[in-house]
Amino acid sequence: MGAPKRTDRLAAGEKLDPFTFHVTEEFNENFLHSMEDFHPRYVEDHAGRAPIIHAGLLFNFSNLTRSPSFSLPAGVAAIHTHEEAAFLQPAPVGSTLTVSWKITDTYEKRGRLYQVVEALITTETGNQVLRRISTNIYMGEG
Amino acid sequence: MLPLSPDTPVGHTVTGRKKTVTSYRTWLFSGGWPRFDGWPAKNVHTDLAAAQQSGLPTRAASGAMCLGYLTEFLVDLFGDEWLRHGELTSKFIGIVDAGDDIFCKARVTAREETGPGICLALDVWCENQDGTPVVVGTATGRLE
Repeated sequence: MGAPKRTDRLAAGEKLDPFTFHVTEEFNENFLHSMEDFHPRYVEDHAGRAPIIHAGLLFNFSNLTRSPSFSLPAGVAAIHTHEEAAFLQPAPVGSTLTVSWKITDTYEKRGRLYQVVEALITTETGNQVLRRISTNIYMGEG
Repeated sequence: MLPLSPDTPVGHTVTGRKKTVTSYRTWLFSGGWPRFDGWPAKNVHTDLAAAQQSGLPTRAASGAMCLGYLTEFLVDLFGDEWLRHGELTSKFIGIVDAGDDIFCKARVTAREETGPGICLALDVWCENQDGTPVVVGTATGRLE
């Protein structure tokens, strides 16, 4: 099996490999420190339900850079320019989540390449957690 | 900061808690798992040389950090249920780096009756310590 195609060369309709990850209590708390957010909803049973995963972690781990097939040469970076996010349900700490990505558009503006990607986070039972449409610009020379 | 209510009027403006972006927090967010050798991973979010190699003037905290700040802010305003129906759009217009303080802000722009509840539309943005917007966008949420 060859190296994955450079992500900045993916066209509309192409997909990146999905990514599955398990969110432990420690994993979630790591992100609470980065976010300076220690609301009880994230760390203990709250309002009759188990602690939930912080949205900062969900956004971070659904960036296309998390795909196992994400590939860019050194010196090239994907920079986030726009975001549309729809929250569908909270995910409890302890969940195993899978992210899938699909390129929906590419275009050039002022000589720079833009790429639009749709990401969907689902739980192990198939429930949808977060749907995002992100636009990235590619910077640097590879 | 008081949460929004079904009686919140158009024009109401609210400011969230101050967030202080530090190198350590960007490493936790974008540098990989701290227990791994080589932490933090070098990338445009954590390392000046990596950022400059890609044509950026300085390190740029991940846009997802500001999305995390905005989502926390919106959950505080609408309650946990926002994570079942909330929508957020945003445009990243400025670089956030270690040393910046970030404030999430919102202004109610529209109210719409939706059966038993009400839907509020907001302009939302993140400002740095100079009052310069770095992220601008919109959000919607329901209250009952």
